[in-house]
Amino acid sequence: MGFANDAGSASRGKGMPVLRYMPTNVPCEASIMEDIEAGVDGALDDIIVALTKQLTAEEKSPKPKEPEKPARIIFKGSPEEVNRFFYQRGWTDGLPIILPTEEAVAEMLTGTDLPPEHLLGKLQSRNGKATMEKIAVNAVMAGALPTYLPVLIAGTINLLESEPGFMGYTTFGFSTGSWAPFWIINGPIRNQINVNNSSGAFSPGNIANAAIGRAMGLIIKNIGGVRKGVEDMGVMGNPMKYSMVIAENEEESPWEPLHVEHGYKKEDSTISLSFPQTYLQHWPYSADAKGVLNAIVDNTPRGMRYTYIITPTHAKNLAREGYSKEDVKKYVAENKLVDVSHIMAQAGMRSPSSLSPPGVPSGPMPKPGDKIPMIRDYKYIRVIVGGGPGAFIAHVVGGGATPGKKEIQKIELPKNWDKLVARYRNVVPTYAKY
Amino acid sequence: MVNKTGAVYEVLSPWAEADPIPSRGINARVTDLAGKKIGLYRNGKRAAEPTLKVVEDRLKKRFPTTEFTWFANFRANEAIVEQDAKGEFEDWLKGVDAVIAAYGD
Repeated sequence: MGFANDAGSASRGKGMPVLRYMPTNVPCEASIMEDIEAGVDGALDDIIVALTKQLTAEEKSPKPKEPEKPARIIFKGSPEEVNRFFYQRGWTDGLPIILPTEEAVAEMLTGTDLPPEHLLGKLQSRNGKATMEKIAVNAVMAGALPTYLPVLIAGTINLLESEPGFMGYTTFGFSTGSWAPFWIINGPIRNQINVNNSSGAFSPGNIANAAIGRAMGLIIKNIGGVRKGVEDMGVMGNPMKYSMVIAENEEESPWEPLHVEHGYKKEDSTISLSFPQTYLQHWPYSADAKGVLNAIVDNTPRGMRYTYIITPTHAKNLAREGYSKEDVKKYVAENKLVDVSHIMAQAGMRSPSSLSPPGVPSGPMPKPGDKIPMIRDYKYIRVIVGGGPGAFIAHVVGGGATPGKKEIQKIELPKNWDKLVARYRNVVPTYAKY
Repeated sequence: MVNKTGAVYEVLSPWAEADPIPSRGINARVTDLAGKKIGLYRNGKRAAEPTLKVVEDRLKKRFPTTEFTWFANFRANEAIVEQDAKGEFEDWLKGVDAVIAAYGD
């Protein structure tokens, strides 16, 4: 019933709660005609009825829905009881939360000059109102510090306005593809709030990397109303949905940082959004430019948008051999070739098309052995510098903005920013010596 | 986790307020499919086209005088019908008596 629930949610979201829809027994993504025929035959009578049965009064004019106005103070109890209450309503990611008390939310709101009722917009799929207070409540639950609130506000604006967000018709939040929001933070705020860009940046253990991604996930869930198995139809799911946050290591990069590539000043702080499916890592063939680049080429999986995270050492070696970020992107895009006739045969395609698999161009039918670039344009590639000492290279591949469409948002800071940073800057782990 | 202190806390709701989306009814139904023109709307998912082809085949057998016309969309539905091909889509709708849409996810 997953897709029936999804169809119901989508039709209600479009103001058509009485849309007639029905699930069939055609298997998902079916390509076996016997199965398709059997599924259609089983549903045909219902399809005819849906087309010809006259409308009920409710279908002609559905009753208006009452506004949803949940109580501001929703529960009173012990930490265990609060956690159980929230979990049972589907408001958590399954892990325990910090209690969003009045005091904790007020402290979180010191991270913005905007009033609690300030509305950024309405977040799909339920058009929930993204107010400062609701963002702050979810931020507290995730364990965020008040200095992260400007990042979360900018992240929410990115969800509201960017193409890979929920208003860009790209549906990454609602797909079967298990796309996970991936946030890259640039600019001075990275160091002020201690976002890890070095050893183990994607591993647990840094509160900023963990709590920013977690808070954004809760915002999607509790403000957007995206429910697993209803709107979020991810087939396999994705552990990156817990949190996927990194800063670019701008200090050790020989190249311009990501936000400067997008036209921002180096002293601006920004947050970028994409929706990858896949995270993979590999060694280079050697430490020189060709060894790094050819390993990237050979390990790049098929996707729509590609982010390569290259260590400072590799980046410096590439730069020493004359490669800019753009040169790296162009090298990969020009050298990642696929046998188009093989792909088309595997996919059962009889003619070239702009359809899946990506990269198959329109035009004459290719001959066996003809190779074409898998990546349609180097602008679908991003390169950032990050990661710690060592040779591994990371790929974050999946969905994202069409090049040129919005994917990055400037982070605005409150007037008391320096004081706020001073208050929380030393919240860092200090390991025991042994 | 045991709360030995017995402390209780009032907590704020993370669930956002939402204004109701204005509801509208669906279009009047046809009384019979015979002699009508049925629009078949498919998205880009693998099973959408073959599923609707079977629907077309079966309905043609039951209602030989029924005509069919297709609208194919290979991107997110809203991007096409509300933006890029809005005019084309609306013209197509004007020419049909009913629509069957299938998404073959």
